[in-house]
Amino acid sequence: MLIQLKGGRVIDPAHNRDAVGDIYLENGRIVEKPDGREPDEVHDVSSKIVMAGAIDVHSHIAGTNVTLGRQLMPELPLIAAAEGQPILPSTAQWGAYATGIRYAEMGYTTVIEPAMIPTHAIQAHKEMASIPIIDVAGLVVLGNDDYTLNLLRKGNVKSDELKDYVAWTLAHSKALGLKVINAGGSEAFKFNARTFDLDEEVPEYGVTSRGIVEAMQQVVADLGVPHPPHVHTNNLGIAGNVETAVATLEATQGHPIHLAHIQFYGYGKEGDKGFSSGAPALMEAINKHKNATVDVGQVLFGQTVTISGDVLRQFDGRRAANPKKWVINQAEGNGTGVVPYNYKKKSFVNALQWAIGLEIFLLAEDLWRVLFSTDHPNGALFTRYPEIFHLLMDRDERARWFDSLPEASRQVSGLAGISRELTLSELAIITRAAPAKVLGMTDRGHLAPGAVADVAVYTEQKNKTKMFAAADLVFKSGKVVVRKGNVVNISWGRCFHVDPGFDRQIEKRVHSFYDTYYGADPRWFGVTETFSDRPDRFATIRCAR
Amino acid sequence: MDSALQRAADLLAQARLPVFGGLFTDVNGATAALALAQKLGGVIDHAASDGTCRAARVMRETGSTPASFGEVRNRADTVVLIGDHPRERDAELLQKLFPGETLPRPGDNKRELIVVGAKKGKVPTGVRTTEIGGKNTLPEVVALLAAATREMPFETRDAALGKKVLSAGKRLRESAFAVFVYDPAELEEPVLHTVLETVRHLVKTTRAATLSLSAPGNGEGVNLCSIWTCGLPVRTSFAGDVPENNMWAFEAERLLKSGEADALVWIDALDGAEAPPPTRAFRGIPSVVLSSKPVKAGRDDVVIEVGAAVADHDAEVYLPPISGIGAVKATSADSNKPTVADVLGKIGTLIDEKGAA
Repeated sequence: MLIQLKGGRVIDPAHNRDAVGDIYLENGRIVEKPDGREPDEVHDVSSKIVMAGAIDVHSHIAGTNVTLGRQLMPELPLIAAAEGQPILPSTAQWGAYATGIRYAEMGYTTVIEPAMIPTHAIQAHKEMASIPIIDVAGLVVLGNDDYTLNLLRKGNVKSDELKDYVAWTLAHSKALGLKVINAGGSEAFKFNARTFDLDEEVPEYGVTSRGIVEAMQQVVADLGVPHPPHVHTNNLGIAGNVETAVATLEATQGHPIHLAHIQFYGYGKEGDKGFSSGAPALMEAINKHKNATVDVGQVLFGQTVTISGDVLRQFDGRRAANPKKWVINQAEGNGTGVVPYNYKKKSFVNALQWAIGLEIFLLAEDLWRVLFSTDHPNGALFTRYPEIFHLLMDRDERARWFDSLPEASRQVSGLAGISRELTLSELAIITRAAPAKVLGMTDRGHLAPGAVADVAVYTEQKNKTKMFAAADLVFKSGKVVVRKGNVVNISWGRCFHVDPGFDRQIEKRVHSFYDTYYGADPRWFGVTETFSDRPDRFATIRCAR
Repeated sequence: MDSALQRAADLLAQARLPVFGGLFTDVNGATAALALAQKLGGVIDHAASDGTCRAARVMRETGSTPASFGEVRNRADTVVLIGDHPRERDAELLQKLFPGETLPRPGDNKRELIVVGAKKGKVPTGVRTTEIGGKNTLPEVVALLAAATREMPFETRDAALGKKVLSAGKRLRESAFAVFVYDPAELEEPVLHTVLETVRHLVKTTRAATLSLSAPGNGEGVNLCSIWTCGLPVRTSFAGDVPENNMWAFEAERLLKSGEADALVWIDALDGAEAPPPTRAFRGIPSVVLSSKPVKAGRDDVVIEVGAAVADHDAEVYLPPISGIGAVKATSADSNKPTVADVLGKIGTLIDEKGAA
């Protein structure tokens, strides 16, 4: 069936397109205007905004850690709703099903879960398979696991065994890419370290955090995995940590790297309170390092819960838990910390965090390398993205928020001096085109023929919160799934992963390792093609090598 | 088979408050049960949910400090084994927790075992073991140990016990990674709180954690599935506009006894485990039974034979060694019995068709 979206303002920054025109969809793909054929279905979208379906590069939507958060804070949607956040007051709103529905209503069609635990990949994939409509992918976490650390201890960083191990882990867990969270820090925590810096050594293993990240960058490059290592650096959330982030960037030696939720590393230690915006220094480094991409991790005020594999950081953060309860889960590799948190507008630090995130977006010279995220749910629930789009696109809205912040925060923030307003095209870059490019998902994030027919149509409004909260129309793989902000058709998306080759010898080694130390068989946590009864559930993204 | 499915659909479509009990099934079976319970406005509970529910409530109130089985096995220098259940559940538990070879672990202590509120029994060779019990009840000795760990004064008439408790408290403070191992089904909530508070005290200066035994019958797997589906653990009702969890109100046994539930879906289909049926099951309450074992149900009940997960079909279930859900291959390759998920899915479709007609 040929579908025509007629007469909309098509925003497709991947092809420098911002003009009124038509889009044609057929067999789940975007197609050229066919000669001599009338469309079977015409949607008049004149005066509307037409974009590709949005892509979220970093959102904790599935897996052991998220479900641990749900266990600790079933009341999260209830508290958030009572505060006026856009979420219904039901525990189910935090469940897998509601996640897909709400994302689709906002025009999102692909979401990346950024912290799959290798031994718990089955649960992550079960949960992802329970999320309707959207396509998904997971990033698998390595770098604090004893197998990797043991290889790095031997000093044979460049040996093929690490390459095979990473390739095997990616394939075994059906992951799209590799995540590294506070490299070595979680392992050091197990030896009772309570801080861990870039050049500190992991006890017993002797390798530094820097050494782990460098080795992983090399391996990912050698394997040709399209998405670079997705890195959560050391010292997250600590005053003065901008130095760590800049040092991590300096250490990249030109290899591609993706730094996650950099707002949380954008902190200086100037001023009376020893906490200041590090955004200018951070953005200077990011603007300079052309091989680096980042997502922001914007903070909004209100109740949320922080969920992270940075167990060392979360352990320290437990003192700020609100409500006063927390989980520290000590497990293979990273483990997890879950700490409920309420970002307060009246808090000097929280207000500055909010401003730092916005500064990062607005100081970016190249938005293709500065991607949108709130690190859901860590900075803010994903249901609040439209509020942030509004702040980025409307300086009056920004000023309105800014003026209600504490005097002390306003005095040390540079945000008021920034007049930039993101355009629709720029918004489409940070929410569509750039995520697709960074993830290596070339068939989406744009509207050229051949792309998957994931399209979101919005009514242009001055109030961007309203505009982006409810898409007029959303097509997922060419089928209408949302009309007037409501899901009208439940479909089930696909799960993307890479499948780099490896020497089969690694399977025996890994089997022996798990058998000896865990009494476990790695096949227990392998995700196979037959995992799902939906025949086309999995799709492979090609590696360059 | 088809007529049994139709009868099951008819029976359930008429029910006002059906309860899904047993739930000895794999994650796919649990997913299907949750979907059908949501469709019908029913209640879900698991036959071994006492401990899970207690642990869930304590966690919701104050949090938790779990360690994975692998971390305990490789890195704990002091294991505090509380009560009898852990070894009743797994006779080889101590052998598994004290393996010959481990990953590098923190501190220089030799590994030790402290058995609290239970007999020392057989312990792995070479592991120094202290038994703390005597004539005191389990909650008492846990409280004594908690006080000793915090260096708080305590009194006991049993001088030998007092000495052991003091020494154990000191050992815990000096441990590089102390782990308390228990079955939440054996410990009352105040005891769970005491253990957690002790861990929270220890972590101010060192590393400590808990290892809570998972419920039998894939109780943990079913519970996790419930949480990611609706945000709440088992003993949840879908009768209202939003899901509601209540450990007391939505216990299958109570709902059947009080007559609040007017239909039962009983699921017992896991290899190597048998769900203990509620005392009032199959007595005057219309039931749909999905079982891989012979069942004595009522004359009007619908009994559907299904395959046993793990034996008759591949299954995803909670696996203690990885402290998470894993995939297990079927032991018998040629079973053609339907799965719980198949059957519940078909019943759901028949109910939809009935509704549409």
